[in-house]
Amino acid sequence: MKKIILKGRPIVEGKARGKALVSSTPLNLLKGVDVNTGRIIEEGHDLRGTVVTGKILCFPHGRGSTVGSYTLYTLAKRGRAPKAIVNELADPVVVVGAIIGSIPMVDHIDLTKIRSSDIVEVDGEAGTVTVFRRM
Amino acid sequence: MVYLTKDEERALDGEYGWAIQVAMRILVKLGDLFKADRLIPIHSAHISGVSYKTLGDAATEFLEELAASGVKVKAPATLNPAAFDLERPQLMRLTEHRLNAQKRILRLYEDLGVKQTLSCTPYYISKPPRNVHLSWAESSAVVYANSVLGSWTNREGGPSALASAIIGATPNYGMHRPEEREGKVMVTVDADLRSEEKFGVLGIHLGKVLGDEIPVIQGLKSPKERELKQLGAALASSGMVSRFILSQKSSSLPQEKISVGERDLKNSLSDISSEVEKPDLVFIGCPHCSYSEIKEIASILYGKKVREDVRLWVCTSRHVKRTSKEYVEIIERAGGKVLCDTCIIVSWIEELGIDSLLTNSAKTAYYAPNMNRVEVSLASLRECVEKACES
Repeated sequence: MKKIILKGRPIVEGKARGKALVSSTPLNLLKGVDVNTGRIIEEGHDLRGTVVTGKILCFPHGRGSTVGSYTLYTLAKRGRAPKAIVNELADPVVVVGAIIGSIPMVDHIDLTKIRSSDIVEVDGEAGTVTVFRRM
Repeated sequence: MVYLTKDEERALDGEYGWAIQVAMRILVKLGDLFKADRLIPIHSAHISGVSYKTLGDAATEFLEELAASGVKVKAPATLNPAAFDLERPQLMRLTEHRLNAQKRILRLYEDLGVKQTLSCTPYYISKPPRNVHLSWAESSAVVYANSVLGSWTNREGGPSALASAIIGATPNYGMHRPEEREGKVMVTVDADLRSEEKFGVLGIHLGKVLGDEIPVIQGLKSPKERELKQLGAALASSGMVSRFILSQKSSSLPQEKISVGERDLKNSLSDISSEVEKPDLVFIGCPHCSYSEIKEIASILYGKKVREDVRLWVCTSRHVKRTSKEYVEIIERAGGKVLCDTCIIVSWIEELGIDSLLTNSAKTAYYAPNMNRVEVSLASLRECVEKACES
């Protein structure tokens, strides 16, 4: 098992460990995620059809309407939220969503260093993302 | 790090309950992110995320938990438009589900102490003084406040404006700091802008070119208030600009220069406007109409009749409708409708058999093809109203 520690910026506190779901496409939280199922439904998105629930959700940044923040809150309320969020650059929509949904969040992370289905540990206080990869 | 007073720290620690804590966390995190030094009191907040069409179900549960906590807004707060006219709900022919969902959202905001202004032009209802700090969402109102009114606000989102309303403060960064309000790009306009929709087209063009950089615009010949409103609304639609400055005599004009000519405007116009032979809807009121716009529409319509096969809709705030009653009567007698509390972008007009519209708003022309799946043609207010009456 190889362990890679990525140092980023702490955004929302909390720790979580889980399987990474990595995208290279900005995500529209309002139109792009179904709050009932946690499924990504945004047309043309590279994660379309996958479910964010229980995952360490990694994407560059949010886009679209500012009320998209509420999506993360409702996902959390319904037990459908990702365990943590990792961004390249945090934007207000995702940050506010992570705060009100109590989802640990770190940014300033180079997402090319993480692959989907890596086991990843996010520390929202230290601002670190640790990647565990089978060799 | 954002410096907090003892009292603000107590709020952040949860001593005043969950709702105040979560609102404070939002402001402090955003403040950290954008390197604010402290929180500053605000004169008012304007909250977007009101129409059930744009809000969906996700937000309702959050608003419900806030309202259930008993928290009330500390700063005066106003609301953006909803999905229908409260006094004429049948006009938009909403389903029972949508109607009830919208009413529930409005009730929750009311419980939080937010005024049911339901307008994107809160400045026509109560004009904020110069140099006060605001926390406004609704990008067209943000640009208007910073550029025309001389008040100071960042381009807030629905949730951050709500958090500011609850705390009565906003993090001190961006448009709240004098050094960040200065012009970055000198724009020289060499084109004949005869009416307000041309100012809108200029805004669409500049928004694309500027991104979030503040322009100093030269070459506009004594523009009217409504023309600047259209310019700002469009600028904020295609770009992230929060402010424009009209040519100043300052010694420190920005180094970067661009010029805009007729050809640029022609290209931007053809991007957002298509030929519409017979529009299903003629729409004036994005952003919501002022008293003087209502008056002008009435004076064009006086003695005329709107054709049977076209709708003429004018959107404004309930406040302006009340103050321009005599003109509203003229418009409605001619067959037009003056709607309040709503606008076509945040309602489901595409389900009313409306496939094409004619408007004087470049912002509407920019958004409606996507938001409402309709074809849009752009013309001046006068041309729009006359077209609705032509036989």
